[in-house]
Amino acid sequence: MSGEAPKYIEFGAYSRHVPPTIPVAVQQATGRFLGTRAARVAEMENWEALRQAASDLRLHTLAHLDVYLERLEQQVTAAGGRVYWARDAAEARAHVLGIARGCGARTVVKVKSMATEEIGLNHAFEQAGIQPFETDLGEYIIQLAGTGPSHIIVPAVHLKKEEIAALFREKLGVDAPADPVALTAIARAALRERFLAAKMGVSGANFLVAETGTLVVVTNEGNGRMCTTVPEVHVAVVGIDKVVPDWESLTVLLKLLARSATGQKLSTYTSFITGPRRSDGEGGPKELHLVLLDNGRSRILADEVARETLKCIRCGCCLNVCPVYKNVGGFAYGWFISGPIGAIFTPQMLGTRAGRELPYASTLCGACVDVCPVKIPITKILLHLRRRIAQGDRVAPPSAPLATRVAARLARWSLATGWLYRLGARVTPILEAPLARDGWIRWLPAPLNRWTQVRPMPAFRGGFRAWWAAHTKGRSTP
Amino acid sequence: MSAKGGAVIDSVRRALRREAGAPVPARPEILPARAAAEAEAEVEVDLLLKEVTALAGVAQRVSQAEVGASLRRLVEQEDVRRATCWNTPRLRALDIEGQLRACGVEMVPPRADKHALAQCDLGVTEADFALPETGTLGLLSSPEKPRGVSLLPRVHLALVSRSALRADLHQVFTEAKAHPYLILISGPSRTSDIELTVTLGVHGPRALHLWVLDDRR
Repeated sequence: MSGEAPKYIEFGAYSRHVPPTIPVAVQQATGRFLGTRAARVAEMENWEALRQAASDLRLHTLAHLDVYLERLEQQVTAAGGRVYWARDAAEARAHVLGIARGCGARTVVKVKSMATEEIGLNHAFEQAGIQPFETDLGEYIIQLAGTGPSHIIVPAVHLKKEEIAALFREKLGVDAPADPVALTAIARAALRERFLAAKMGVSGANFLVAETGTLVVVTNEGNGRMCTTVPEVHVAVVGIDKVVPDWESLTVLLKLLARSATGQKLSTYTSFITGPRRSDGEGGPKELHLVLLDNGRSRILADEVARETLKCIRCGCCLNVCPVYKNVGGFAYGWFISGPIGAIFTPQMLGTRAGRELPYASTLCGACVDVCPVKIPITKILLHLRRRIAQGDRVAPPSAPLATRVAARLARWSLATGWLYRLGARVTPILEAPLARDGWIRWLPAPLNRWTQVRPMPAFRGGFRAWWAAHTKGRSTP
Repeated sequence: MSAKGGAVIDSVRRALRREAGAPVPARPEILPARAAAEAEAEVEVDLLLKEVTALAGVAQRVSQAEVGASLRRLVEQEDVRRATCWNTPRLRALDIEGQLRACGVEMVPPRADKHALAQCDLGVTEADFALPETGTLGLLSSPEKPRGVSLLPRVHLALVSRSALRADLHQVFTEAKAHPYLILISGPSRTSDIELTVTLGVHGPRALHLWVLDDRR
């Protein structure tokens, strides 16, 4: 992937060429995460109160961001860290490359970080003759494969273990069986050497605490700890929107983050890093550099409706529930951030010209709004951006293929005509009987196979009136 | 402050239409902390053991008298040949180092360099905090308590005193925020990155053992 941000994102064109393996893999991941999330949320008595508190807190911080940023800079500096400011991606890349040259790093180890994806840091490292190694297992795999992430939490979910084994055989020259445990062990051994050899570790941060100048880094694999503990130099690249006022605020946000992302109560490792190490004996980096990235965020702040976009804590839950994302996967969104949050974040960051198709990549069903742990009004912002696009930029009209338009018209006619609907309810089970098994249809003839290539279709279970009559039988109706 | 910092903060201020030095109202209230089951401390210990076990850790109560025998079992189970241990008063009093040596384990000093620590099979620490609700350990760092000991060896053993139990993150953060480093650990290192199969021990320890020390006579 190149380092520059895309000039125009053709969501419509991308989404028509999604290989069927992507939605299948993505839906396995999203289904898993949603299931465990639901279990965690059900355990919490005060989930809704937590969401409201988190939303209030994030909005308060954004509305007074200048003051919290000043406090953060003072505290990081007081703790012995160095703060750099970057107005755009190019300035951020220049800061990081300058630090890397200063410490003579030939290789760097990286934790998965949205901010470094945003500025195209890996590309900049390669151009400068420095080799970057992604250390999150999924990121490591897609870096070897040379592709982008398909999901924010499990970036390589679209690859089968056989493909990963073949990739390891080709790129690492080792005998790799198609077994997740064995493949993980191979990656562990390969990356251990990288961790121990690298002079510099690069991370993002999930939160920055203004009160004490503390970086908070959350991972499950332990690569976040490795990158911020083992190399002598630690560089964090973080968006200015990640600031929180104090540690008390973290009690709310950390309780929501892992539960919403993966359905864990807390992620395996949460590091709280305040400045470089105080003594040689305790370990940890000798130098800590924090690059604070604006890159369009202050422009988002100026729009009071769209400002709430920056409340995001990057849990990925809105992706998991999104019917559009689940069928096109992450690539179609054209930049490092996908799903509903990508559909509102990218057009604001790249301009509504480059990202003008994205606010239309939604059915406005609002499932994302219901689950968002910081209550971002995503559908409201989507409509707001559509309005902005309509007032300013030329809008590419959302167009459906002919077959879809014809099918939609037929559906409207049959659903709106009583006798036709009842006839259909009787005929459909007979027509689909040869195809249905266990309540699912796994194959349909062309052109209907566009559906079954991607996922099974639920068989018709009978009319609603009949179901309702059976369902309420023996119950007293109020 | 650097000129560029001024530029970013200035554009934030312009976007928010705020004056420099304009007052900031108090931040919104945070929800109160969870209350511990105060009547019976053992209920909290039970919860801690249950949650750590659910995270694929190995958790148990160990009395002072049993520490030696438990270490011997651990050395056999996990095939420990080389180990390192924090240098805290409590761990010295329990003579963890001497007991491991007696099992034939080679001891590496905790302040050894990263390569030496990475060669260790076992790292022994003492938790500064434990959160029963989430099965979480909190570890601070100092020259006697290096960060690498709970990270680089293949197996992590954390000893927990009852006095380390805290009801909620609130208490942990109040005590920890003055320190340069805090790590919260909930179970062994894990990933689901290949076909969503849960696999332990990607970069951090593959196994986490947690012993709640029984101080009662």
